[in-house]
Amino acid sequence: MARGYRSEDALPKDDRRRRFELLALPHLDAAYNLARWLAGNPTDAEDVVQDAYLRAYRYFDAFQGGNFRVWLLTIVRNAFMTWVKENRSGRMVFVPDTPLAESADSDETAWGSKPRDPEALLMESIDSQTLNRLMEKLPSDYREVLLLREVEDLSYKEIAEVTGTPMGTVMSRLSRARLALRKLWLDHAELENADGV
Amino acid sequence: MECDRATGMLSPLVDSALGPFTRWRVRRHVAGCTDCADKLEELHAMQSAIRTKLTFHRAPPNLAARIGAALPREVAPAPSRPWFRMPAFSFGSTGLAGALAGVALTLLVLGNQNSTQRLAMQDVIGSHIRSLQADHLTDVLTSDQHTVKPWLSARLDVSPPVKELKGQGFPLVGGREDYVDGHPAAVVVYRHDKHVINLFAWASPGRSDEAPREEARQGFNIVTWRRGGITYYAVSDVEADQLADFAKLVAEGT
Repeated sequence: MARGYRSEDALPKDDRRRRFELLALPHLDAAYNLARWLAGNPTDAEDVVQDAYLRAYRYFDAFQGGNFRVWLLTIVRNAFMTWVKENRSGRMVFVPDTPLAESADSDETAWGSKPRDPEALLMESIDSQTLNRLMEKLPSDYREVLLLREVEDLSYKEIAEVTGTPMGTVMSRLSRARLALRKLWLDHAELENADGV
Repeated sequence: MECDRATGMLSPLVDSALGPFTRWRVRRHVAGCTDCADKLEELHAMQSAIRTKLTFHRAPPNLAARIGAALPREVAPAPSRPWFRMPAFSFGSTGLAGALAGVALTLLVLGNQNSTQRLAMQDVIGSHIRSLQADHLTDVLTSDQHTVKPWLSARLDVSPPVKELKGQGFPLVGGREDYVDGHPAAVVVYRHDKHVINLFAWASPGRSDEAPREEARQGFNIVTWRRGGITYYAVSDVEADQLADFAKLVAEGT
């Protein structure tokens, strides 16, 4: 009897689950990569992704069609934020929207002076290890928009959806993220030069 | 357009996120301003550096299984009340309910087997298509069978045969891990001329051997067989005869 109940009940649930797996498992790498870059280590990233998949499964019926990857990454991001609140309260460095960023000349100022040898400072010459390290140094909301844009190749509209921020903010945040990464790269290159001499 | 205004537009320009008119104005400014042109070049270089050099962390192989195991526990059973839980059919009242449940279970198992095969087929074809589209044909790119086999063995619970069949016209390309029907699967990748052959293998403990069977689905040829508790799917767009030859070569001695 008990056996009969379970199997009877399992039929619609299994179909739902299979549909979910067919849609969600192909994006496991994307989900993990985002979580890994946000959380900073594999163990926490796995927890975040698992939590995200369980949430996604729970709210699967709410998925209205459209881009499943964007929907899933939104949930991964939310799962990460929850995880931060529960595990790292106070230790998380989020860069607030600084007044500098909103002033008219912000970008001009942030670009700063021209490097002496712009050719040599083009980021084309960076190696993976250094780039990884610089990305890790970025504030997480900068890192997040860069990942969504360059790695996941999302549009501003999709990034706005995933991060729950207006499109204008996405645009300025990306701009500032790039300048912040550029500054880290210039500082790094300068240090290398000084070491080399 | 003023320089400081154009500077702020360089980042969205790189992202192709500007409307046609603004894009035109920014481009026109950049064409006449070496300062902005340098900045634009820097941004392009950064974009290509991130896209090509930033580490992409792939999910560890056990994560799919871990999630799969956690899924049912997390979901509360549907609140529906099946007829056989109603008082009249409660424990020990009659053998009829038990007998009916037994029939239902049998039907369910049979039905599930077919749908499992169908879903495995869907997954295998989907994975084959993705492997051709995305830059994700192989995780380990090598024509050395002694590299591919231990690489797969270390990650998965199956150890499929990895043969060098170059002499027979099927050079080994590499291997990757994939997921089929919610379970991890090993994929050994071969080529035949310009065509890719994905050989999927996953553990099916306790299942009896099955002789190779040929099928055509969605424009692909597929040969499936099972031997020694491992299920194999060879998928490709090569001719059916050639894929059958390939399957025979692989299956020999497994």
